[in-house]
Amino acid sequence: MNKMAKGAIAAGVGVILLAGGGGTLATWNQANNASMGSVVSGDLNLVAGAGVWKNAANTTIPNIADYKVVPGDTLTYTQPLTVTLTGNLMTAKLAVTGASAANGFGDQGVVSATTLTNARNGQVLPDAVLVPADSGQVTATTTFTFKSTTTGRDAVNSSVNLGGIGYKLEQQAPVSSNTK
Amino acid sequence: MQSTRTIKATGLVLLAVVLGLLTVQGSYALWNTAAASSAGSVQAADFRVSLTDTKTSQITDMTLADGTAANLSLSTTPTGVLTPGQSTYAGVQLGNVTNAGGDFTIRAGTGTPAIGPGGTSPLAPYLGIKVVAATALSQCSQPSLYEQAPASGTATLDIAKAKSGVFCFQLTLAATMPASLSGQTAKVAIPIIVNQL
Repeated sequence: MNKMAKGAIAAGVGVILLAGGGGTLATWNQANNASMGSVVSGDLNLVAGAGVWKNAANTTIPNIADYKVVPGDTLTYTQPLTVTLTGNLMTAKLAVTGASAANGFGDQGVVSATTLTNARNGQVLPDAVLVPADSGQVTATTTFTFKSTTTGRDAVNSSVNLGGIGYKLEQQAPVSSNTK
Repeated sequence: MQSTRTIKATGLVLLAVVLGLLTVQGSYALWNTAAASSAGSVQAADFRVSLTDTKTSQITDMTLADGTAANLSLSTTPTGVLTPGQSTYAGVQLGNVTNAGGDFTIRAGTGTPAIGPGGTSPLAPYLGIKVVAATALSQCSQPSLYEQAPASGTATLDIAKAKSGVFCFQLTLAATMPASLSGQTAKVAIPIIVNQL
């Protein structure tokens, strides 16, 4: 038998023996980072600023508790609301809640429905759907009128409490992203 | 195998939960927030007019606490018996004492005098009554104040909030009153009506 063949046979035998041991073979593998980033939540908020009362002459009333109305008076309450809407699927509705307490003026005093307006939509109706682009200031306006047709001494020393009036910002159910 | 059946049961439960959430689209809570208006209360003013007698400085509100109209008896100058051709004077100061927050001007006017008692008096045809608006009570006893006044016995006065005005009255017994009426008395009632302007 020539020497090369012997050497070859010896090498070949050695390899086979290694395979039979069933040892820790390395197989292909690979690893990588996912890099998914962060999930951040949006925001929904409503902040009521300080309201201001004015009379028909557009004179500011520093303290409504110190101002007594007479027939023919019309007072307007204006209040800024800051609306914050954040979120890719964020939609919400803004509505006025509550009502004035029993009106001590009877038919002689009229409290108007509170209106909400913003720069983007004009009047914000109860069913208007707000989106993040509507974030910003909404102006709430309420008017009280003491009728000039009041006669005699009707409704002297009467009062009406408007403190029950409020505002609610409510998120609307988002359209499922799975349907897109 | 036992473990296989367990795995299958767990899987079925998870599937049911997922289906429940997807199909019911239930009443899950959404974000909402509220804010108050803090508008406070609107209050009406009172409607008060004060009456002050010239001589006694007696003060009363035109409307009493029970809501009825006040009657203010005025003192005359000079006092005592009135002789034919003679005049006597009286005055009342009206004060606009409302607590209204804004402007509140009133217009006061006198009505037709009623001479009694009982709305009639034998002296009535012989009594002349003049009413003049003035700025001070001290003017009321000055005869010159009434020289241009009409004989109708009425006058009007505009009074701004927190201000006052005066009605002056001159009562003259005609020189032609018959002597047979001597000793008679007469009660003169002059209504005052106030309206908001």
